[in-house]
Amino acid sequence: MAGKVIALMCERSCDMTTHCKSSGEIEDLPGVYVVKLPCSGMVQPAMIEAALKAGAEGVVVTGCQIGDCYYREGNKMIKERLLGERPPGLKKAVDRRRVLGLWLSRLQPDRFIAEVKEFKATLKSMAAADSAQTR
Amino acid sequence: MYTERLGLTKLFLLAEKGLNAIATSKYNPLYYHGALPQFFLWVLFLSGLLLFAYYIPTIDNAYASTALINAYTSVKYITETIPFGVVVRGIHRYAGDAMVFTILLHMIRVWFTDRYRQYRIVQWLSGVALLFLVLVIGQTGYYLVWDERSLVLTRMTVGAFDALPGIGEPLKWWFLNGKAITNFTFSNYLFIHIGLSFSLLFGLWVHYVRMQRPVVTPPPVINYLLMACVMLAVFWFPIHMEEPAMLTAQPSQFEVDWFFLAPYVLMTAMPLQAFWGLMATLTLVTCCLPYFVKTPPVEAAEVVDSKCTGCSLCARDCPYAAIEMVPAGAGSRFKLLATVKAYRCSGCGVCVGACAFDAIDLPDLLDTDVSAKIKSLVAQQSPSG
Repeated sequence: MAGKVIALMCERSCDMTTHCKSSGEIEDLPGVYVVKLPCSGMVQPAMIEAALKAGAEGVVVTGCQIGDCYYREGNKMIKERLLGERPPGLKKAVDRRRVLGLWLSRLQPDRFIAEVKEFKATLKSMAAADSAQTR
Repeated sequence: MYTERLGLTKLFLLAEKGLNAIATSKYNPLYYHGALPQFFLWVLFLSGLLLFAYYIPTIDNAYASTALINAYTSVKYITETIPFGVVVRGIHRYAGDAMVFTILLHMIRVWFTDRYRQYRIVQWLSGVALLFLVLVIGQTGYYLVWDERSLVLTRMTVGAFDALPGIGEPLKWWFLNGKAITNFTFSNYLFIHIGLSFSLLFGLWVHYVRMQRPVVTPPPVINYLLMACVMLAVFWFPIHMEEPAMLTAQPSQFEVDWFFLAPYVLMTAMPLQAFWGLMATLTLVTCCLPYFVKTPPVEAAEVVDSKCTGCSLCARDCPYAAIEMVPAGAGSRFKLLATVKAYRCSGCGVCVGACAFDAIDLPDLLDTDVSAKIKSLVAQQSPSG
């Protein structure tokens, strides 16, 4: 089994409640855990760093479609923070390939599942490449 | 916390999804719904300036000869003689209609997506006032032409004011700027139409004051498309001159511009007292709409004074201008301290994301709790990978 992925999700963006077990794990995506926030703008880069440091394989940040933040600008803010265009950003040591930003409306849980599956596959191939290098 | 109202929002989410597929979110007009009327306002100011250059606000000899210079003949001159005069008139008229249409779209969207209450109350109330002003200013544009329709509208307005108890009489004399229709009436019409339109700018300031970086300009591509729509209307339904107003005549029919003149249609359909009652109720209900929905009050963000370094990042990023940087106390190592204006705070947590020092928190969801939850999720049943 691969490592865990933490999904930091705006509660107004893509709605995964019906897809989640009580633990927050998504049924179709084993190992992916949802943490809900009032707005994706609340995500601190430090939270992403904490997740990766604790051993998570990847972090998905999900906000509403860019342009449609309920709180006006939250998704733009975190998008710019992830891209390093707005302080505070991620530390240099953070592996950017392990962070995924998704901007989806409430009606797009299928898209979320598809994108995260692909992300997990990428993480898996990265892990395989790493172990090939170290062994 | 967030309560489900998907039934109403779903319609807009579907429309957005469709438009995003065609136009991408950068050019989706639904994401600039507030900026669309603002664009038309500039179009109206500019085309209005051109019309103003030739408009003569008098009714001098209007009833003796059409060869003399007065309101009606100057409008006729603009329409028939000046190159593209009729186009400018068309732009002015249809941009006005488009402004009302986009304001209504804006209003319906913020209502459907639940973005009009609590910390947005000033925006909603000033928006209602702005819509009212736009409708009044737009109507007076139809008086200025001084054709048969203008005469009917003037008489109907005077009649409607007459029906108001107490204030009706002075309102009527103010409206006519005297006791009968004279040249003075036209200076008043011109003042209402042009003078009051500048008060829209003040109204817009109130509308924007509680927002950081309000979106006031759509991308140029959308502007061109909007202008193209107006031009299509200008050429499909060109403006034409009606018969001049004759004070002795009693015209009874006119073309209705539904965006501005709908109240006059209502006026003919019911007693005037009932009309005013309906108008007052409509206004009151619209103003009170935000108070009908009961939700728990917003838990405003709180600053941990001992941790705040005064870096201003939260104040810069707050979408509602709810954070003010004040001089820090004498005991502080730093120059500034963030303070939250609770009545403006939406509880969205953008400030929490902006703070690299854990110095600002939402009382009902601490960032330390979020981090702890993340860590416990990663730690439980450690993966075999």
